[in-house]
Amino acid sequence: MQNVITYLMIFFTALIMQGQTDSAVNTAAEPTKYQQGMRKAFQLWQENKSWEAANVFERIATAEPDNWLPPYYVAQINVINSFTEKDGTKLKAQLDKAQDFINDATAISKENPDLLVLQAQLYTAWIVYDGQQYGMTYSAKASELYNKALALAPDNPRIILAKAEWDMGGAKYFGQSIEPYCKDIQRAIDLFATFKPAGEFYPTYGEERAKQVQAESCN
Amino acid sequence: MKISIITILALLSPFFFFAQNTVSGIVTDNSGKPIFGANVYLEGTYDGSTSDENGKFSFETSETGTQTLTISYVSFEASKIIDDVSKMKGLKITLRDDVNSLDTVTISAGSFSAGDNSKISVLKPLDIVTTASALGDFVGALQTLPGTTTVAEDGRLFVRGGDAGETQIFIDGIRVFTPYSPTTNNVPTRGRYSPFLFDGITFSTGGYSAEYGQALSSVLLLNTIDEPAQRKTDIAIMSVGGGLGHTEKWEKSSLSVNTSYINLAPYIALLPDRNDWKKPFETASGEAVFRQKIGDGLLKVYGAFDTSDFELTQEDINQPEGTRFKLNNQNFYTNASYSKMLENDWTVFGGGSYTFGKTKVGIDEANIKDIENSAHLKLRLKKRFSNRFKLNFGAEQFVTDFNEDYDEPNFAAKLGYYNDISAAFTEADFIFSRKLALKLGVRGEYSELFKEFTVSPRISFAYKTGKSSQLSLAYGDFFQQPESEVLKFTNNLEAQHTQHYIMNYQYSANNRIFRAEIYRKQYTNLVTYNDEIPDVYTTFLNNGDGFAQGLDLFWRDNETLRNIDYWVSYSYLDTERKYKNYPVAATPSFANTHNLSVVGKYWINDWKSQIGFSYQYGSGRTYTDLNTPGFLQNKARDYNSVSLNWAYLLSQQKILYVSVNNVFAFKNVNGYQYANAPDVNGNFARRELLPAADQFFFVGFFWTISDDGKDNQLDNL
Repeated sequence: MQNVITYLMIFFTALIMQGQTDSAVNTAAEPTKYQQGMRKAFQLWQENKSWEAANVFERIATAEPDNWLPPYYVAQINVINSFTEKDGTKLKAQLDKAQDFINDATAISKENPDLLVLQAQLYTAWIVYDGQQYGMTYSAKASELYNKALALAPDNPRIILAKAEWDMGGAKYFGQSIEPYCKDIQRAIDLFATFKPAGEFYPTYGEERAKQVQAESCN
Repeated sequence: MKISIITILALLSPFFFFAQNTVSGIVTDNSGKPIFGANVYLEGTYDGSTSDENGKFSFETSETGTQTLTISYVSFEASKIIDDVSKMKGLKITLRDDVNSLDTVTISAGSFSAGDNSKISVLKPLDIVTTASALGDFVGALQTLPGTTTVAEDGRLFVRGGDAGETQIFIDGIRVFTPYSPTTNNVPTRGRYSPFLFDGITFSTGGYSAEYGQALSSVLLLNTIDEPAQRKTDIAIMSVGGGLGHTEKWEKSSLSVNTSYINLAPYIALLPDRNDWKKPFETASGEAVFRQKIGDGLLKVYGAFDTSDFELTQEDINQPEGTRFKLNNQNFYTNASYSKMLENDWTVFGGGSYTFGKTKVGIDEANIKDIENSAHLKLRLKKRFSNRFKLNFGAEQFVTDFNEDYDEPNFAAKLGYYNDISAAFTEADFIFSRKLALKLGVRGEYSELFKEFTVSPRISFAYKTGKSSQLSLAYGDFFQQPESEVLKFTNNLEAQHTQHYIMNYQYSANNRIFRAEIYRKQYTNLVTYNDEIPDVYTTFLNNGDGFAQGLDLFWRDNETLRNIDYWVSYSYLDTERKYKNYPVAATPSFANTHNLSVVGKYWINDWKSQIGFSYQYGSGRTYTDLNTPGFLQNKARDYNSVSLNWAYLLSQQKILYVSVNNVFAFKNVNGYQYANAPDVNGNFARRELLPAADQFFFVGFFWTISDDGKDNQLDNL
């Protein structure tokens, strides 16, 4: 069973995070402390100093208790770094930390599809680490989160992509048609073209990944 | 506007504008090693930094006055310093280990757990149901763990020289009074409850918490799922019956219903066994769990009903025409519990269960009708003072009302008893560091029936001997009242008593677990009586005693061989007791010296199949040979059985499952029955006690329907 799940999950290990970038619109005015901090964090992240970036996000989170984005990014860095972590003790510590920050962010912003997807990715990290132990329970939970996220944001290309990729993994393994998911990915790519984040520093990633998945699996 | 104010301020007071403070220091762990990557910042500001390779940090801040400096790093407890910023220079900060970390020592003496995030898990959730010999029975899977004895014809848990009644089963912390389905004496019983509804199982073979009482040897704790993952329907079509399950989920609540119907008639028509069935085994059962979130609290209501029916003629050496045996049983169990997190790290748990069991047994001319009504109520409070000190205390009440009507042509009797036990317990958990933990508890019980008060201290201790290894010790006193078979005749007794001494070593790393445990169990106050079969005129006393000691080994490896996961359990047991009508102390017939289990699972990716293998060995059990002097002086032949199963994923949600128990058809003998009177040569004739069937075949098809199209019932097989 472990192998089925591991196989299913391989598709997920690819870091979905890339171009988390310059969403910072160049406002003419003097940047606020918040903007400075967030820009610095993203810069560190791009320089591959993700732990330092997480530390900056964590500081901003304490200074901006009503903003869900800083805790969201702290959690995201911890989750992404867990996909490659082989030491169970470290993994648990990181994912516990990620869970705390997801809880903080969720308390600020309820029914947020990006947070639901991140929660699903956190479960996926456990499954990748030990499919036999966590596969059964967590994959069902992750599926449910993707469904819920998509119901909340049916036209958000990032959510469409995340769910399509998750479903595609299972379908491929069982030799079922991945055609419907390719359609979803095409739809996500079309939507990315016109996608506008809800505000500064909001998540924007996904377009590159969608094209990559399409190139690898569809056509 | 902003700029101009600052300019003015700068002009007025240049010192204010340039009043930058430097915060600096070094972060180490408690052994003095520098911590690299710690987050150091003034709370509520943007000012902070990350410690370097040498644990050093330094940053500038324009904040003044009293501030809170927070230092945090993953797997350490965050530290806070409240002081004037200007004094935060050259700080020496030592972070304490976070004892919630996975590498913190855990008390593992005596207990095995199967579940998700437990640190002492030896079984994974899937194992309960993918073990070849278990046939989906959670008790069957636990019988592959060390500390259990192979009593193949019985099916219940026999732990470390204790009989099956010495193990108690709890669902969500609440006692189950009648956990096993009734059966005839050469067909093993099964646990009544489907593994489908549980997500955590802890099996303790000794030294368990003060929270649990009325068990001399062992407790099995089952937890129902808090929140099912999704809405789904499960369909099972099996060679022996069928099953249907459905889970429905709402915003704050969910309901799971599971039903099954088993009828062995077609199977026995095809593959007749040694029994002469008048009416083969038939059972219908239904279970439901309802869960409702109420604020921070969770209410769970569990209910199970089953009815079983069968009739047969059993072979009997004293009756050439055989013994008529007929059974009809109805059992209803319900359990409700509510738990809630309160303020200041208090947690409250309250729950209760009610069991109604009605059994009608016909043995030859005699008809026996038993009605049992039992209830358990429990209230427990937990206070978490810190990660390092937790307190747990509560009170509970057990009530059993048992009535029996015994009826045969020339004799009739009404028997019964009413048993009321009140108990209170308290337990404290101390985690001194990641290396050292201690649990101290005490339990008091008062029996209304015996007018007796008992006190049971419990203590366990764990010390981490290396990065991946630990040593645990446990001691405890355990009391249990005699069973219905005795209580229906007398109440002029005391509780039976055991003391456990356990030492456990555990090594676990890289998907490999090794456990070794030695123990000594001392029995006192066991019930004795002076008749072959007790009746109303029998004299009962608490004169019995005994001991059990031994070594349990467990090894599991999921790493060395690709796609193969296997475990090996071995138990050595040395036990003797004098109880019931034993003339001398002897090893009881349910105990043996050596037990070995090997369980393997091989995943074949290309076939989308899991092949399961299990081998059970039990050295011979004792019996009394009437033709030579002595009592329980001989041993029957060794027990051997190899079982295989094959689960094939037809598609993501359809599984075909085939299993064969005892593939090589080893002829196992459970014991002997001797004639009541010798023949003309002065010899007592005997017959072998054989299982109803040497082998068992099973074919099933399992189909799950869920919205995501992913879930399946592999975890039910």
